[in-house]
Amino acid sequence: MSSLAEYAWLVPVFPAAAFAALTAMGRGAGRAGAWIGTLASLVSLILSLLIAGQRLSGTAEEYSNHFDWIQVGNTTLPIGFEVTNLTSLMLVVVTLVSFLVNLYSQGYMKDDERISTFFAYVALFSASMLGLVLSYNLLTMYIFWELVGVCSFLLVGFWFRKPEARAAAKKAFIVTRIGDLGLLIAILLLFWYMPNHELDFTNLHNVFGTQTGVISTGITTLIALLIFLGAVGKSGQFPLHVWLPDAMEGPTPISALIHAATMVAAGVFLVARTFDIFHASQAAMDTVAVIGAFTAIFAATIGLAQNDIKRILAYSTVSQLGYMMLALGVGSVSAAMFHLFTHAFFKALLFLGAGSVIHSVHTQDIREMGGLGGRMKITAWTFGIGALALSGIPPLAGFWSKDAVLTAALDGHPVYFVVGVVAAFFTALYMARLFFLVFAGKPRGDAHAHESPAVMTIPLVVLAVLAALAGFVQTPFNGWFGEWLTGEAEQEHASGLVIIVSTAVGLLGVYLGWLIYAKGTVRRDIVSSRMPGVVRLLERKYYVDELYHYVIVKPLEGLGKLLIAFDDYVVDGAVRLAGMSASAIGRLNTRLQSGQVQGYVLTALIGLVILALAVAGRRFW
Amino acid sequence: MLENIPVLSLILLSPLAGALLVLLLPGQRSVWLRAAALVFTLIPLALTLCLFAAYRPGVGGAAFTEHYTWLSVPLNKEMINAKSLSIAFDYHLAVDGISLPLLLLSAIVSAMALLASVHIRKRWKTFYSLFLLLETGMYGVFLARDLIEFFIFFELTLIPMFFLIGIWGYYGREKAATRFLVYNGLGSAAMLLAFLILIATAGFTAVQGADGYTVQFSGSYDVLLKNLADPQSYANNASEEMAGLGVFLSDNLKWAAFILLLVAFGIKIPIFPLHTWMLRVHTEAPPSVVMIHSGVLLKMGVYGLIRFGAALFPAQLADWSTVIAVLGVINILYGAVLACVQKEFKLVLAYSSISHMGIVLLGIASLHEVGLQGAVFQSVSHGLISALLFLLVGSLYERTGTTQLGELGGLAKSVPFLSGILLTAGLASLGLPGLSGFVGEFLAFLGLFGSMKGMTAVGVLGILFAAVYILRSVLGITFGPLQERCADIKDARFVEALPMITLTALIVLLGVYPSILTDVMQHGFVGLLEHFQQRTGG
Repeated sequence: MSSLAEYAWLVPVFPAAAFAALTAMGRGAGRAGAWIGTLASLVSLILSLLIAGQRLSGTAEEYSNHFDWIQVGNTTLPIGFEVTNLTSLMLVVVTLVSFLVNLYSQGYMKDDERISTFFAYVALFSASMLGLVLSYNLLTMYIFWELVGVCSFLLVGFWFRKPEARAAAKKAFIVTRIGDLGLLIAILLLFWYMPNHELDFTNLHNVFGTQTGVISTGITTLIALLIFLGAVGKSGQFPLHVWLPDAMEGPTPISALIHAATMVAAGVFLVARTFDIFHASQAAMDTVAVIGAFTAIFAATIGLAQNDIKRILAYSTVSQLGYMMLALGVGSVSAAMFHLFTHAFFKALLFLGAGSVIHSVHTQDIREMGGLGGRMKITAWTFGIGALALSGIPPLAGFWSKDAVLTAALDGHPVYFVVGVVAAFFTALYMARLFFLVFAGKPRGDAHAHESPAVMTIPLVVLAVLAALAGFVQTPFNGWFGEWLTGEAEQEHASGLVIIVSTAVGLLGVYLGWLIYAKGTVRRDIVSSRMPGVVRLLERKYYVDELYHYVIVKPLEGLGKLLIAFDDYVVDGAVRLAGMSASAIGRLNTRLQSGQVQGYVLTALIGLVILALAVAGRRFW
Repeated sequence: MLENIPVLSLILLSPLAGALLVLLLPGQRSVWLRAAALVFTLIPLALTLCLFAAYRPGVGGAAFTEHYTWLSVPLNKEMINAKSLSIAFDYHLAVDGISLPLLLLSAIVSAMALLASVHIRKRWKTFYSLFLLLETGMYGVFLARDLIEFFIFFELTLIPMFFLIGIWGYYGREKAATRFLVYNGLGSAAMLLAFLILIATAGFTAVQGADGYTVQFSGSYDVLLKNLADPQSYANNASEEMAGLGVFLSDNLKWAAFILLLVAFGIKIPIFPLHTWMLRVHTEAPPSVVMIHSGVLLKMGVYGLIRFGAALFPAQLADWSTVIAVLGVINILYGAVLACVQKEFKLVLAYSSISHMGIVLLGIASLHEVGLQGAVFQSVSHGLISALLFLLVGSLYERTGTTQLGELGGLAKSVPFLSGILLTAGLASLGLPGLSGFVGEFLAFLGLFGSMKGMTAVGVLGILFAAVYILRSVLGITFGPLQERCADIKDARFVEALPMITLTALIVLLGVYPSILTDVMQHGFVGLLEHFQQRTGG
């Protein structure tokens, strides 16, 4: 049987074709356009499932194909695709979430006059994200990396008339582009340092993984850190995390698809793909682990003090991506990818659930919600499962993957473990706060809440099932997932300590949240009354945005104004001066042309003397 | 098929014929005038496309060449002991991998700019005849292989341009036209001086016959290339009998010629600090003329720098590659930072052009095939993108009466098509992969990175600023609340949409399938690179 992997390139082609068709049809496509997009994503999903099935059954070889995109003399720049276990897993994750989000958006975006544009952008995003996943070398990946970025930008700014959406879209693009510069320079470095200018992952693996010493450690570290800069931008890691919460200005299905499940995980995927480079440099590994751990706890604390339902989830995403980076930094690709896998489901679920709530009550402020559990039963139940999965409550998916990350962290350094555990506690706490404020208690808003239509709740149910069960692919008692993914048998250690501690902090967080926000036995202002400064610091997100505004944006604006003056007065001024002196000389010469013969003779005489002196002078030279 | 007809001459001269025809038509019949101008613009476009399709890298250049002696002036042969002594200038047209992409760019942008000239409201007859004359000048620049011939065509672009700016421009048009002429006149003077130095020294050939030498000075590019590549042969050849001529090109003279050429073409590109004239042209000239100016005329500087600066003086270029790279980085960052703080959209685009041309300089400074191809690719790509952007500027100004960023906003609501194209053009300009801008930038950076890593890394910062100034201005115009003056305007008409779609399609094509252009360029740099290897020792 021929391998289906040979046709893997078709997976992104379907949504790409849908994008082309929808763009050509323009706004006239209307709701028919929505179905074209959904259908394309369904076909991609089926094909991905078939490919992954073949890989799971172990009947197919890894497959890679490429062609010369640009040829310059002896230099060729190929692009191509590759199917491995890792990529087939990502294919399924992306196409599955993409299909569910497409379906969900049928309901969520129903009344938007630009619905076909929306589905066109989503299709373009899916195509680009799938291309990114399938890339066989860094150049291909960079191309799609930028394309998913631009789709994210387009969709964040989808409601373009809102100035906040415009600002958020701009910020998302520019901040991630800082990271992209790092990735670009890393590619340039690799191009010139790799033997034969090869940029494909197989050769990277060979050069950095097996035949070490071809490239010096210093350069390796530099390359790894520059690649990591790209990942930091895309995956919203500190200090480039600022764009992700603002990106919540986009429609909620987009937040689920792009800013929770797929694109923001691309940074983690990138590091996993180029892991051999990182592995060859301890300094780079430490950087990844420290940034990851710091981001995990940093964002979790901010999440405690936000009131916008989507922003809480956004900071949660930043924090969870930090966990994945931490796992990579301590050397466990399988734990990182496992957490990426489960997080895609439960975080997409949470965002779509939040969308269902927003769709119903038309506000995003959790202080104006409450008591929705009774009137939105499916949403409440599925959201609850997602929240518990994120909080790491056994036996839901998030528990197993967080457990894997924490186990790896404990192997790395006790500090990473402690940070991870504390962040897990905060996670459980802010999710409990969110859940109880929204679904428990009495209604605080005046909106007439109602359950969303089936087209929106079915995706919730599917994702809830996955959020509950997806963790069983890899438990401390069953490690085939990691082995299948990385090709290396991981040493099994069912660390009782980790299981107990992480379960305990998860339950503690949920319980505390329940006490404060549902039962009310602990007063809500218990912290804010004693430490108003801390709460304010968290509410203002540690003032990072303000810091950037005054340290980077303002000085650059100043420089720009300075250069305007420079361009006008110095550069152009010199030209004007030259022009004026030319006309001044002209006027002087006009004065010589006075008509007085004496004047002419005098001038001629002076000229003659100068000439004579010049000739005489030359002789002595 | 094309081998049997003088296709290059047809490309060159058909706009000239069109200009004469336009002069014969009645001046009030704008439709006739437009139709005639369009026909005589589409003829060279069609021919150039055929040429592009028929061109085979490596052999194609030789298949399409036209060479006639234009004038030959006998000199006083008593000066030396030779059978005859003359100075000759030829009508010599040819294409290669460097000029063909730019020739095609000129033909495409001309046709699109002509379509965009619907917004011209007065003196159609003069406008279209000057426009066609300008076309002949551009084609001539890219086709000419004789120094004097090149110079004449280069000058031929200046005069129509001067009037096109000065008559049909905006409020400050006359000042802008004067500034344009003064700067470019200075550039031309420098170029002429350099050319004369070259002709008087390296343009020398001596053929030994039975009864003595036949000696000739010529402006032939091929002769110069051969002589400069192998200075011993022509200097020794002329040994005793012709010692009196002093034809040897000393190093000092070489440097003088090289720097003169750098100044001449640096004004055109433009290189900081010689750029202020082009800001005025960008803001004051009518948009369809700026399409040509920004799309093609700036690239004449790039072409000249590669054709004459790099190919004739590889050693000087190699010595000064760091200088060129520094100038490139200054262009990139200076232009980019200034583009970020402008309040007028046309100035954003003007400074953005300066920034993008800096990337071209980096490609040239790389002395590497990848970088040089990147420089030409970037030139073509920027030509298409800036033509598209100024096409949009024209359409927006027609509708809103302003291009001030503060007075525009929310256009995506009222004119979704124009806004969509503007966004696409902006994304192409900021180097989004999948669109042409990325390929040129990437190749230029890749080429330079091999020799100057730190410099490239600083230059790469430019693409971050590009994101800032493009998004700031494009989103400012199209996103956000709808401004009152933008509310009741209509989307693009067919005659406007046609060039917009064409240019967008080309930008996408080059971005997705760059080989269509790079394959043609394949052998364009072979000779030049051999020079580098020969002269710089690898």
